[in-house]
Amino acid sequence: MADPARIKPEALSERITSCKEEDDKSDETEDGPSTSKAADENKHSSSQDQSNQDVKSEMAAGEDEEEGESSSKRPKVEPEKKKKCQKVDEDEIQKMQVLVSSFSEEQLNRYEMYRRSAFPKAAIKRLIQSITGSSVSQNVVIAMSGISKVFAGEIVEEALDVCEKWGETPPLQPKHMREAVRRLKTRDQIPNTKFKKITFN
Amino acid sequence: MADEEDETGYDEEMDDGSGGVDCGHGKRKRLFSKELRCMMYGFGDDQNPYTESVDILEDLVIEFVTEMTHKAMSIGRQGRVQVEDIVFLIRKDPRKFARVKDLLTMNEELKRARKAFDEANYGS
Repeated sequence: MADPARIKPEALSERITSCKEEDDKSDETEDGPSTSKAADENKHSSSQDQSNQDVKSEMAAGEDEEEGESSSKRPKVEPEKKKKCQKVDEDEIQKMQVLVSSFSEEQLNRYEMYRRSAFPKAAIKRLIQSITGSSVSQNVVIAMSGISKVFAGEIVEEALDVCEKWGETPPLQPKHMREAVRRLKTRDQIPNTKFKKITFN
Repeated sequence: MADEEDETGYDEEMDDGSGGVDCGHGKRKRLFSKELRCMMYGFGDDQNPYTESVDILEDLVIEFVTEMTHKAMSIGRQGRVQVEDIVFLIRKDPRKFARVKDLLTMNEELKRARKAFDEANYGS
């Protein structure tokens, strides 16, 4: 695999603030982070500049809205709620920035893979359409690929727990994965409509 | 017994290489191999995960998508999959629910931002 392009901390912290808004966009514009990484980075940074301006204009618009509301003497609950929500978001964004800026290179690599990896929308759409037989909207594809990624993450995390518990090291082996699936099944986190559970036999 | 039922499911997954007697999931081409490798690394696995593990995970994901699609088709508007159905099915799982909400709101925001940007461009 080609070495992923180095990311400078300042550029990365910039990315984090816009990355939260950009998750969908980067999922759309990238088909595979392993190949042509540099090209993707360039595309990402150029589209990131555009969305950076968008984000800034949106935040400015939000602030203007708040000033307008307080001057028109509307109930002050709404602007306060907005300020609180924004403050909580900003706190979290700051904390994330501090955290990510202190990552080692290997952690940065892993974090980048975690954020950037995604299922290809075309394949998911084809899969869903082959089951339903009719077309589905884009939102459905977005939701389904997002949930599938969370699902895959849950399995991998559980498998890593199993691996650690058995005193073995990654890479994960199929036995870890199967044990993880068995555990998740008992917790009802894996949907299964094929086999009915008979409580009392 | 439950164990036997589980094992038949896994036997299908293990027959991938041979594709012999039970051709359930075996003959389909691997849809997500590349992306799943990156994803597994991102979630904490080794940089080069085993191919068998990636295969198992792909089968699980495809089964998950299939199950969700079937369930979504059976509730709300029959025979169609809509976002509300997916959100309803996910309501019990906090992580997935939050993720779907985030994704959909972000998508709306991006659409609005792009529209505003295009209009600004068009105007000037």
